[in-house]
Amino acid sequence: MESEALITLGKAIGAGLAMIGAAGGGVGIGLAVGGAVQAMGRNPDFTPTIQTNMILGVAFAEAVAIYALVVSLIILFVL
Amino acid sequence: MGINWKGKRRYIALLMLIASIAVFLIAPPVVPVVQLPGEVYPEGWKLFGVLSMPDTGLPMTNTMMGSIIVWVIIGLLTIYVATRRPSSGDEVPRGGFYNLFEMAFEGLYNFIGGIAAGPYQHEIFKVFMTIFLIVLLSNWLELIPSVDSIGFLEPHYEEIVDEETGEVIGEELTDGFETIEILSGVFHLNGKCEWISPEAATELTPEEQQARADRGCVTGTGVELPPPVLFEGADDHGDEAAHDEEQGAAESEEAAPEGEESAESAEEAVAGEAEHAEEEVHIPIHAVAAGDPNVPWVVLPYVRVPSTDLNLTIALAIIAVVWTQAIGFRALGIGYLGKFFNFKTIFTSPLGGIDVAVGLLELVGEFAKLLSFSFRLLGNIFAGSILLFVTSFVFPIIFPLPFFILEFFVGIIQAVVFGLLTAIFMNLATQSHDHDEHDDAHAH
Repeated sequence: MESEALITLGKAIGAGLAMIGAAGGGVGIGLAVGGAVQAMGRNPDFTPTIQTNMILGVAFAEAVAIYALVVSLIILFVL
Repeated sequence: MGINWKGKRRYIALLMLIASIAVFLIAPPVVPVVQLPGEVYPEGWKLFGVLSMPDTGLPMTNTMMGSIIVWVIIGLLTIYVATRRPSSGDEVPRGGFYNLFEMAFEGLYNFIGGIAAGPYQHEIFKVFMTIFLIVLLSNWLELIPSVDSIGFLEPHYEEIVDEETGEVIGEELTDGFETIEILSGVFHLNGKCEWISPEAATELTPEEQQARADRGCVTGTGVELPPPVLFEGADDHGDEAAHDEEQGAAESEEAAPEGEESAESAEEAVAGEAEHAEEEVHIPIHAVAAGDPNVPWVVLPYVRVPSTDLNLTIALAIIAVVWTQAIGFRALGIGYLGKFFNFKTIFTSPLGGIDVAVGLLELVGEFAKLLSFSFRLLGNIFAGSILLFVTSFVFPIIFPLPFFILEFFVGIIQAVVFGLLTAIFMNLATQSHDHDEHDDAHAH
């Protein structure tokens, strides 16, 4: 019983630590969208192009956060 | 179609709200067992209770069933669009849905045209649209109620594996719930009553036992449980049950009975529980009738969102990446390899070594695409479906609505991102390095 509780504790701590990585993704998405909105405000004619590139950039930045999420999900539900 | 629905839909919404409140009060929701790989259907399952599937030797999983549903929807969509398609340009297309589809199709075609204009636009669009439709429909499957919540009633146990030989030596019952029978053969998990093992029940105080009894629980109330009922059609698992029984019986020093007698012996074994409290009593878990309070129960959903299974996402990622290489070879010939093994400038330029390293990095990047494609989709949708059923568990009335809307958009965005990245990578693969700077110079 002791070791089981320890394993659960370790899993919870590990999953929580893994999710720290999501902070970077959040910052990245914020920067990307902030820049894109400024650009769109200055130059509304290019909105479609900027939007496409923004979504791409957001997807790449989000991918890092998602890796952290997958790692923590694997820690919680697979290990 | 004859009914005028105008103004009547609000009553349907109201009815649904009342129904959700009623269901919440009668049967509180239960957090499902979360598992990353697709849950395998129990052996001998039948489609709609009648159709038995051919034995392919491969396990059927609920994510596979989800993909089959997506295929069927795509097939129906194809038939619908093909029959509604006007034969000549003069004819006005009929049906709002057809027009919506045509609008989305045309919009996406122009969207791809903005990214990958050129001789390969048509092919790139085909790949994009295929991936988009499959991913979109499988993502949206999580929005349908009853996906993830209706399924097989399964006893929840873990197999105890002998560490040295790797053989299964027994089962340990784990967390689960009691059940309530609604109709004959139809059960729901009793969210008010977690299952408690007989050993744990003895540690409860009488007040706790009384509280459980007041909630209508069967286990953990201090009342002796009836012996487990074994279902009639247990022949499928007869061998297994008998095998387990032998080991259980060996432990409790009773004569090992053969197949058909296993039911009786199990009853005996449980009846003898009071006398031999310390001795382990073995219940043949496979053969216990559905809803029996002697074992904990969980639901194994019939259908789960296919994008929450790594198999679908990695298959799509492999298709996308391999197809990208194929288009690259078709556009640039053998020179496509020059992108990865760039030895042209190694002796002529002082930066030649860097070119080689960059080329090799791009080669690694191709494999990294596999990972990023598959894990991005899996992570987003898996987290989304967990979010949906956790919010539905916390408070199932109205509260989950915004999350459903969020997941609706996440489904679209992930489908677009998957297709769009494929399209962009394909477009990059069709352009050779040598002309890049040249084209840019022209463009500006």
